[in-house]
Amino acid sequence: MYTPADRMRLARAYVPFQIFSQRLSPMEGLLKGTIFPELYFPYRRQHK
Amino acid sequence: MDRERLALLKELMALEFTALEFNLYLDTHPTDQRALMEFNAILPQLKAVKQKYQERYGPLTAEEPSSYPWQWINEPWPWEICYE
Amino acid sequence: MWIYEKKLQYPAKVGRANVKMAKYLITQYGGPDGELAASMRYLTQRYHMPTPQAKGILTDIGTEELAHLEIIATLVYKLMDRASVEEIKAADLGAYYADHDKGLYYVNGEGVPWTAAYIQSKGDPVADLHEDMAAEEKARATYDWLINLSDDPDLNDTLKFLREREIVHFQRFGETLQIVQEYLDAKKYF
Repeated sequence: MYTPADRMRLARAYVPFQIFSQRLSPMEGLLKGTIFPELYFPYRRQHK
Repeated sequence: MDRERLALLKELMALEFTALEFNLYLDTHPTDQRALMEFNAILPQLKAVKQKYQERYGPLTAEEPSSYPWQWINEPWPWEICYE
Repeated sequence: MWIYEKKLQYPAKVGRANVKMAKYLITQYGGPDGELAASMRYLTQRYHMPTPQAKGILTDIGTEELAHLEIIATLVYKLMDRASVEEIKAADLGAYYADHDKGLYYVNGEGVPWTAAYIQSKGDPVADLHEDMAAEEKARATYDWLINLSDDPDLNDTLKFLREREIVHFQRFGETLQIVQEYLDAKKYF
């Protein structure tokens, strides 16, 4: 399921597969919007 | 909504959310045994909290036996609850 | 089939009534990158997915989007709660009020009704999954702009939850795309 770089072909999009290792507690996961720390990318408000 | 009920509702949300996260992960990783074990381990906790909530505060789905009169329609509905 | 559970996915809080914010937020109810469009898009595309993983993920994310639709509805309902006609006029929502009072209707922030033209169902799983990944990014960007527009920390708490879900969904669609592409390759060459 994981495609190494040398097997990637042109004109195709790739998203790396997530490999599960650990999870947050249920309540922390709910409040963050994911139980997977490696998928947590919070928004930093930009001042414009 | 009183503190105790709100706390139990949030606990239920957290467990159900954890189950959903594993559900989506397993959809694309059906052979990840560790994730599968964690998913299976969450379910009894989720069921227990669900049962406790329903015993105290009424049905979460219309597939529950009801005392008289029909409990399913009781307010508050989810959008009417103050989640503070 | 679907079974309704009488609870929200997330405790959706609003700090104070704010009609102007309701007007901005309603685009995630019935706008082009909103939750209704997301759910309808995935639930109709799933019939032409070639692998069990793809059928599963579109069903499950399409279902989760219905829960997000309910969260957005709850937020709009609470932001509009007890608003006076004067406040509605001041927030430039008079035209909406004339048609709907405070009833929830599927429109974007400018009052344009929801249309199936917001979504595609190409019948080609690779094309459809690319659309789905783009849809998640567009919804994520919309939540960024909504958070910029809001100064209510309680409201932003729920918007940040919904924003993070877009990121997780993007990841799952990306993994699904890879599975589908490998499946189609194998079918071609063996």
